[in-house]
Amino acid sequence: MTRQAFMARLREGLRGLPPQTVAEIVADYEAHFTEGEAAGRSEADVAAALGNPDRLARELRAEAQLNRWREERSPSSAAAAIFAILGLGAIDILILLPILMGVAGALFGLFIAVIAVFFAGGFLFAAAPFVDPPGGTVAGVLAGIGLMAGATSGGAILTLISIGLINALVWYGRLHYRLLKPALEPQG
Amino acid sequence: MPEAIEIQLKKGALELCVLALLHSQDSYAYEIASRLSDLIGMGEGTIYPLMRRLQADGLVETYLVESSAGPPRKYYRLTEAGKRSFTTQKDAWSSFSGAVNEIVFGGAK
Repeated sequence: MTRQAFMARLREGLRGLPPQTVAEIVADYEAHFTEGEAAGRSEADVAAALGNPDRLARELRAEAQLNRWREERSPSSAAAAIFAILGLGAIDILILLPILMGVAGALFGLFIAVIAVFFAGGFLFAAAPFVDPPGGTVAGVLAGIGLMAGATSGGAILTLISIGLINALVWYGRLHYRLLKPALEPQG
Repeated sequence: MPEAIEIQLKKGALELCVLALLHSQDSYAYEIASRLSDLIGMGEGTIYPLMRRLQADGLVETYLVESSAGPPRKYYRLTEAGKRSFTTQKDAWSSFSGAVNEIVFGGAK
């Protein structure tokens, strides 16, 4: 493979990553080719020694997505991290998917419930002075505030649990990828 | 399966070898890759994902050095955390490989 072909396949595999990250990675491999040529090796020689660019891109991409998840806790970075781990083939998707769907479904349901309780609390808080609930207006208003506060802390705990679960998944995927993947796809 | 075991062992040892090389002296990726591929026969490209991970984990940092051949080279050096990690991993490796050697070669002695 020529230098150009190798770099083109690497770039192709890195598509979608932040331009800054892609530029750094591409510069690393370009420098490798330059060093190799300075040492008197042919392009084909260097490319062969580097290994399969698609595989390298997959590994680099997963590394980059995991870093993004570490720096920025957002639903989109979480999804990217999960897909990157799955893309490595570190976890059997047929086993994981039903579990993941079940857990995600349960968490989603709990989030909806928490939001509903929050609005119910808000309604009780707002309506208590007018409808004179059992126990008196003050108790109604306080109960409304209590429900809203409870829902907020419930939501916070759910968010922490979600982050913890994704971190556990990422940890598990990396651990197994590092040990198993090279054995499944031997190289050089 | 001997091949699979060999590759697993090499991959696991790669990080320790990189830390050890950098512990003795700062180096750039091409040099690390060519020394390690001579030593343990890994694909040279594997070094770059590893270096990026080590950097993201804060175990190594980079600086540029002017080179006689072409553009400046990116050198890697161990951070304090990197040195600590090297010591820990070295101890773990030493006790693990010692125990394995004793079992594998112990009976033959």
